[in-house]
This record gives sequence, C-alpha cells and structure tokens, in this order.
Amino acid sequence: MTTLTTGKPKIVPITGAGACAQAMRQINPDVVAAFPITPSTQIVEDFSTFVANGLVDTEFVTVESEHSAMSACIGASGAGGRVMTATSSAGMAYMWELLYVAASMRQPVLMSLVNRALTGPINIHCDHSDSMGARDSGWIQLYSENNQEAYDNLVMAARIAEHEDVRLPLMVCQDGFIISHSIQTMQLEDDKAVKAFVGPHKPYHPVLDTDHPVTWGALDLQDYYIEHKRGQEQGMRNALRVIQEVSADFAKTFGRSYGLFEEYLLDDAEIVLVAIGSVAGEIKEVIDELRTKGEKVGLLKIRSFRPFPYAEIAQALLRSKIVTVLDRSASFGAHGPLFTEISTAVYGYTSNRPLILGHTYGLGGRELTMRHIEHVIAESRICLDKGEIGDRQGMWLNVRGDKS
Amino acid sequence: MTTLKNWQELALGGVILEAGSAAKYETGSWRTWKPITNREHCIHCLKCWEFCPEDAIKLEDGRDALGNVRKLVKEVEYFHCKGCGLCVRECPVNKEGKVQALEFVRDEV
Repeated sequence: MTTLTTGKPKIVPITGAGACAQAMRQINPDVVAAFPITPSTQIVEDFSTFVANGLVDTEFVTVESEHSAMSACIGASGAGGRVMTATSSAGMAYMWELLYVAASMRQPVLMSLVNRALTGPINIHCDHSDSMGARDSGWIQLYSENNQEAYDNLVMAARIAEHEDVRLPLMVCQDGFIISHSIQTMQLEDDKAVKAFVGPHKPYHPVLDTDHPVTWGALDLQDYYIEHKRGQEQGMRNALRVIQEVSADFAKTFGRSYGLFEEYLLDDAEIVLVAIGSVAGEIKEVIDELRTKGEKVGLLKIRSFRPFPYAEIAQALLRSKIVTVLDRSASFGAHGPLFTEISTAVYGYTSNRPLILGHTYGLGGRELTMRHIEHVIAESRICLDKGEIGDRQGMWLNVRGDKS
Repeated sequence: MTTLKNWQELALGGVILEAGSAAKYETGSWRTWKPITNREHCIHCLKCWEFCPEDAIKLEDGRDALGNVRKLVKEVEYFHCKGCGLCVRECPVNKEGKVQALEFVRDEV
C-alpha cells in the first residue's frame, strides 16, 4: 500500500514506525532532514522511498549526523517550511543543543521519536531515557500506547505545534521495538482527509520573505532573555488548551478521542497505577482481571508529558488512596521524572493525601509482564492496608538481585 | 534610555523585525583600548575601514593627489568601536614602523 485515496479509512496491519512514515507521507512536509538510527530507521527508510517514488513533494535532506539534521530542520522551519524528522536515543542526544534552539526560536519542528535506551552499555531497546532527558528542552511531548496512537498523535502534531498561541516543536514518542517494530492492525485514514485535517502551514516571519527582512537567533542578554523565555513558557501553557482543542476536532473528524491523559477505570479506584507508553496495554489487561476479583484498581496513562497537566491530573486522582507510579527511565540519585511530576500534581494542587509509591522498570527493554504488574498492585494493596510505603519506595522492578 | 518591553509585547522566539537594528547597540561600551587616527600620517588606503568588524571607521568625500574624487578616512566612531585593534594592526603605515597613522591607547573611563 503506497497511497490511500479511496475516501475511506482502511484497517491495515502495520508497524508503529511504518504508521508514522505513512502519517508523514500524508502530511507531506516541505522539508525532512533525518539520519537513520535504530529503532526509528524504518520511518526514515519508508519516507525516503516515498520521496524517491514522487509520492510527496518533500525536500529530503540527507545529513551526516543528527546534529545536522536538527540544524537543517530549524533552518528550514525558519525559512518558512513545515518540517519533520525522526530519531531515537543517541540520535536525539546528538541533537541536544539544537532541541533547545528549536524550542526557544519557536520553530514548530515535528519529530517522530522512537524511544530507546541511552548508551551505555550499548542497548537498542526501549526505555524512555532519551525523551525524559529532553523534558526541559521546551518540546511538547506526546506519548503513545500503540501504533494507532503513534499515528494519530503525529496527524495531530502539526496543528498543535504550529498553533499561533503555541509555536513550539513537538515530539511524538513511541516505544522502540515494542511499538515501532510490532505489526498491529490499525485504522489508517484517507490521504485527503488527513491533508484537510492538518491544513496549510502558516509561517511566522520567515527569513525567505525578503520583502520583510528579519533576524533570527540574535544575541539576547540580561535585558530581554528572560522575557523571551517567559513567552516560551506561555506557549507551553497554551499548549494544554490547544492539545485538547485539536484532539476534540480529531475525535469529531476521525472518531477516536484523546485527552491530555487517559483515565482507565479511575472513578472508584483506590489503587491507581500511573504509566506511559506500551505498558499501559498490559496494565489494562491486569486491571480487567483484578476487577473481576473486586480489587478497585485503575490506570492513569500519560499522553502529554510536556506540558504536564498538573491540575487536571490532581483532579483525576482525587479519589485515589495510593498512587503507584511506573517510570521507564532513571534519574540516578533521584526518583524517576514521572514520579516527581505526579507527586507535584497530587500534593501541589489538591488537599488529597494519597500514598505515593514510585518504581523504575523496563530499562533497556527489560520486560514487565502481567505477573509483575499483578505483583505491583498486590504490594500497593499491602502498603495501602498498612497505611505506609515502607522500604518499597523507589524500588526497581524485575531486576535480578533485588527483591521486588 | 529606551523603555524595555514586557514579554507579552515581544515577537516570538526573539525574532527581530527591524532591519539594521544592530546599529542601535552600543558595542563601544566594551572598549578598554581605543584607536586614534593621525590624519597627517594616514595614506587613506582604507585598510582599516575594510577590516573593521563594527563599521566604526567613518569616511568622507575627498580627492587624491591627482585631484580625482575618492573616499578618505575621516575618524573613528566610538559608539560602535569596541577597541579590538584590528585597524591598528592592519594599518600599512604602522607596519612600516616609522610613524603611526593609527595609535592604540588605553581608553580612560
């Protein structure tokens, strides 16, 4: 399948990476600059085929590194184009300084990020260390549970990132291999419908508008730097609203609805698991099983990690008695980034005082099976009954040598 | 003293919408040494004007020895001169070493 022009959506078996490449084809960006890296390779590979076969009008810039890829993206975006890239792990780490440049220059570059562990030791499998490390770079981060979500998020990405109240780069994250390389059936929308939904790109003071010469990237010192950063922060705050608006329109157009996060059986849940990405699928399965046994357990699955919807999450966790947070990245010497955000949401925004328990799991692709998740929920129940977390706080899951 | 703007009034991403606005920035405040032109020794080769990174060497209309119209070095403009000394170093009269067409002196604050 190379195009979808029947006017109707189609159910297709496709990998997460393949689905994102299809979204990129349908978006038809002006410029793509990318350097292939496992496990995001298929996105770039498929897309370069679309370019070679004339299915897109994109200028595809083959660069010698990710540093150059992001530099080219920023330049092309500043010139007035809609720009996309894809990468993983060390590739995004090599883009590091440019991630900040893209965000602070308010260039809405779109990235399809396939989450992979950072070296070392060298590992190509999934964890969230790459994107979690970049959480302060100023990029909007949307996470995906499966192929469909990765595709849908990317279709929504341009309208969120390019919104005049936002104007920030955006990365759509999917779990390396688990999503990127697994074939699932999902609904691919019609080319024209996606094109109509995404709409035209509106450049902001592009440098190629030579009738109105402008300067991008000038020196900015003590007198204005912080005002520009404050404006950048406002773009992020506005993104909370814009993500919801675009998602609502997406639901109206394509029938799948997304919020800032997903609530799974939260209404009466005493035990709430909080997680990001593909593991949510297993958690839901376990919850369904335990619910038949009467355990009041639910899941809060993060979609938007930046901006982080503190107040909204605090409301959603208002009835929880223990919140167990699963981080798929480590902040060495500290708790995981999701744990600290959830703690801030719960304790900074409401007077509800549930127990909060944090675990790290899945680094470098280590599996977290349904049995492990059952165990986490059982241990959460014990903590809740005792009324204290005890020595389980910060425990790593499924690590040989630790009892978890 | 210009009034500084609030963040809400700024264009996004620090983009500067006014062409040539760099001229408003006083790089002269960085200076610790300053070049001084000695017009009696200057041969008006314009090397200093060519090398100056801040466009701080100001020229004026004049005539050469044969009476042809040409540009002559007028003065250093100290609002922009940051005292890098490139003009002093590149001056061919200075290089010859007998006299100095451009002197480099400590800038008294």
